[in-house]
Amino acid sequence: MADLDALTQAVQKGDRATAVKIAQEALAENLSPRSILDATVAAMDEVGRKFQCSEVFIPDMLIASRAMKEVMAQLEPHLVKAGIHPELTAVIGTVKGDQHDIGKNLVAMMWRGANFAVVDLGSCVPAEKFVSAAREHHASVIGLSALLTTTMPAMKETVALIKAANLPGLRIVVGGAPVTEDFARQIGADGFSADAAGAVDLVRRLVHA
Amino acid sequence: MPRQPLLTALAARPLLCDGAMGTQLIASGLEPGECGERWNVDRPQAVQAIHQRYRDAGCDLLTTNSFGGTTHTLAGYGLEARAAELNTAAAQVARRAACEEAWVLGDIGPFGNFLVPVGEFQPEQVREFFTAQAAALAAGGADAIIIETMSDPVETSLAIAAARAATPLPIIATFSFSQAGSQFRTLMGTTVEQAISAARDAGADVVGSNCGTSLSLEQYLRLAEQIVKAAGQTPVILQPNAGSPHDEGGRLTYSATPAQMARIIPALLSAGIRIIGGCCGTTPDHLRAMSQSLKTS
Repeated sequence: MADLDALTQAVQKGDRATAVKIAQEALAENLSPRSILDATVAAMDEVGRKFQCSEVFIPDMLIASRAMKEVMAQLEPHLVKAGIHPELTAVIGTVKGDQHDIGKNLVAMMWRGANFAVVDLGSCVPAEKFVSAAREHHASVIGLSALLTTTMPAMKETVALIKAANLPGLRIVVGGAPVTEDFARQIGADGFSADAAGAVDLVRRLVHA
Repeated sequence: MPRQPLLTALAARPLLCDGAMGTQLIASGLEPGECGERWNVDRPQAVQAIHQRYRDAGCDLLTTNSFGGTTHTLAGYGLEARAAELNTAAAQVARRAACEEAWVLGDIGPFGNFLVPVGEFQPEQVREFFTAQAAALAAGGADAIIIETMSDPVETSLAIAAARAATPLPIIATFSFSQAGSQFRTLMGTTVEQAISAARDAGADVVGSNCGTSLSLEQYLRLAEQIVKAAGQTPVILQPNAGSPHDEGGRLTYSATPAQMARIIPALLSAGIRIIGGCCGTTPDHLRAMSQSLKTS
């Protein structure tokens, strides 16, 4: 019988071949898509926790996330059939004037790992584009990233514009190397995370609050 | 007096490198989202004026405006076809400010993505980015190549080997560290020992650290001691930020004053650092104060 604990282990280690093999076995044995999904999400949660404790680092996160992605590719048609949807939809991007995307990509990756649907708008994204994407995809969350101290004002303007659009139930979270909790509060964001792993818990907290 | 070869001069006395370029470009009018490297061709006088301010502050080493000058990074602005031109111009502009007295360091930053197996980029591809940039900087008259703000020791080794193949110039390699638990590590989780030994094994002539995330001046001093220990006989460079940034009414400010930066110079020298410079938040004023401290230490 397919061992879902071993699936969790394989995703954590980034062992793609093993992870996919176990997922396929589990599907062949008619295990519920939900239980397979949960085993995968548990793996990414554990990677996130270890990252926050400096037990693993960015390369480990990236490799685990690739294994997760391949398992999800197997799993997706079955999730659709079972009527299991992503937990929520999040729109993400680096604010206007900022070309940096590594931090934003890490957050998108961890969100996908938590079974959020992620609409990635890329880098140097104008404020209006965040609003239209959130509206189109019925997003619960918008994530804004900035790496440069010089693009922090653009983050402030983007938050103001999104708030002015008044989309019901939409939360804005911000992050990036120079961004602090204080700054996030001052510009009116709903939440701040210091790292990609923390961004998962932050959104779960905000949306389920 | 015309300059000696960089490594000969360095054996005789500690040298002062310059400070931040990006913030100076912005102060001169660079818009958010604009490519700084373009200014080497479009506004060379403005770039030269920044180099000149660092030179006037007493800096021995001027770093070219080419941090984002790999073909891959420039492609983000649609400027990949102009990589050689922009890098050669970067070295020429710095040379004009350095005259024949100061040394020009041809600046190479990370290529901006991940190598396999973490990312999708093959080593051969990435080696080409670095070879092209190093060759163009050398053609413009650089005295040495500085490969800086690195996180991945594999990418750094690749860049050092590429620069070595492209030019006989001395090579400096620096990593950015932050505090991770009880240790200093790069973004990729690399420790000081791992990073420095990778750079030395790849043949760097000078090794060290620049930038970093949220390190205080005290932490930089501890980092300096660890790097010198790991570097053995290889000379060490340290280019700290102006302390760790703090929030001032919604504007992020680096907190260390020129006087505070100058005050740590004697301790850095006695820790064994041979080249001192600045990174984020440093200005010609910081470097002037540091120069005076260096002369009297």
